[in-house]
Amino acid sequence: MIGTFSGSTAVAGIGLRQYKRGKAPMPERGVLIRAIVDACEDAGLDPADVDGFVSYGDDRNNEPVRLMSDLGTKELCWSSMIWGGGGGGIAAAFGSAAAAIATGQARAVIIFRTLVQGDSGRLSGAVMAHHMNDHLLAAGIVSPAQPCALRAQRMFEHHHVPLSVAEELVRASYYHGARNPNAVSYGKELDLGAYRSARWITEPFRLFDCSRENDGAGALLMVSSEMAKDLKNKPVYLLGVTQGAGRGWGDLLENDDHYASAGFESVARRLWQQSGLQPNDIDVAQLYENFSAQGVASLIDHGFCTYENVAEFVRFENLIAPGGKLPVNTSGGNLAEGFIHGIGMAIEAVRQLRGESSNPVPNAKTCLLAGGPGAPTVSSAIFGTERP
Amino acid sequence: MESATRPTTGADGPYWQAMAAGRLELPRCEDCGRWHWPAVFRCGSCGSWSQAWHSLAMQGQVFSYARSWHPFAGAEGIAVPYVSLVVELPQAGGRRVLGLLRGDERDLAIGAEVKGIAASTLVGETPIPAMHWFLNNAERGA
Repeated sequence: MIGTFSGSTAVAGIGLRQYKRGKAPMPERGVLIRAIVDACEDAGLDPADVDGFVSYGDDRNNEPVRLMSDLGTKELCWSSMIWGGGGGGIAAAFGSAAAAIATGQARAVIIFRTLVQGDSGRLSGAVMAHHMNDHLLAAGIVSPAQPCALRAQRMFEHHHVPLSVAEELVRASYYHGARNPNAVSYGKELDLGAYRSARWITEPFRLFDCSRENDGAGALLMVSSEMAKDLKNKPVYLLGVTQGAGRGWGDLLENDDHYASAGFESVARRLWQQSGLQPNDIDVAQLYENFSAQGVASLIDHGFCTYENVAEFVRFENLIAPGGKLPVNTSGGNLAEGFIHGIGMAIEAVRQLRGESSNPVPNAKTCLLAGGPGAPTVSSAIFGTERP
Repeated sequence: MESATRPTTGADGPYWQAMAAGRLELPRCEDCGRWHWPAVFRCGSCGSWSQAWHSLAMQGQVFSYARSWHPFAGAEGIAVPYVSLVVELPQAGGRRVLGLLRGDERDLAIGAEVKGIAASTLVGETPIPAMHWFLNNAERGA
């Protein structure tokens, strides 16, 4: 059953400022303010009227009260952060903003993520510090690549998922990135020979299986669907959003029940229930891929394919715009567009549904955003062009 | 240098004390018999507050593994490449513990039998107690 929540809020504005690592023109908070003002201008809303902020992934330098002077904020009514050090909170951030709006606690909420590494340090280090303990250190596990590699190895070796699917996903990401002028890989096709012979990071991941970090900030403005009608841009509605972890998943020292999964099983089940949609209703997907195998595991967890037929589904031709069965990461994603802790993927979901993507999927009406595969807390959302 | 047992906010203090003394111990619920790892203060299955620590044989099966080649910050005390292991312990209800693989790596595969020793891993300047594992039949050269 679809509740009244579905479609009651909408993204009305987006702003993204992305730079090569170390090349941001301002310190971190300056870049963030710039992106928030971009999102407000995109929507035609005075930044001073923003009254709520949500972030995720320990964006701890940018507590909303510190943004008020620059934005001229009249009154701060909502500030929250999704728990978790990784990107698992990205879709949940929209859920928090929507909850604030739907209950009348705030009217105009910015969802943001910022990363300027001269100021906040390497993201991989920060993510790992969040989860770090002596059990992991004692086993030499100090980077997100390693727990993800352990899970990927189990998926490939024990569940017999062919290694080729990771390559298919990486190829699709780079195909889209090469055609997106905002992407770090713009104009550069992936050389398969280079991919296959790139240096090992942690087996089974080579260099191009890993997301690469950028400096920048992204911001999305969320308001009620009623209010969105009076703003400048076409609203992109939030049709469903879920977060969390099922029993037997979490921060468990690698004791998760379905170890090779991406942790979305309970989150995806509730997402489909809440939205009344199913995998074949999804026109395009933005799959947070910290690492290639985790992107594939996300697709399996959400029910797009199974261990048995994953190699039929996760094929380059199926994954690319405009004609693929399920185009994914149409901006290039974390691998090829750039990686500001995944916020670019949420922005691409909106661009795609507005018809503004560099790799448009014709008549796309729904877009899945799946955040932070393999993280203890994960979240997913569905955005759409129409209210249910 | 003796291995350091460092403060923990969790229920795993006895694990570290045992490991520093050369034993592998994990907790089991005294009421419902469920093995818990990570350690718990209260059994979420039956509600019991009685968790007892049991000394375990240091043997198990490789549940998964990852060989790291990149010199990650924080692991400078371990020469690359090195293999991190998740080892399943049938003697503890299938709970899994972490560790490093040492010795011959030729027969490394999921399901391979391993035997462990209580050792230490250098973290920064500090050796912390750690399980190090050897594939059965492997020479303990490293």
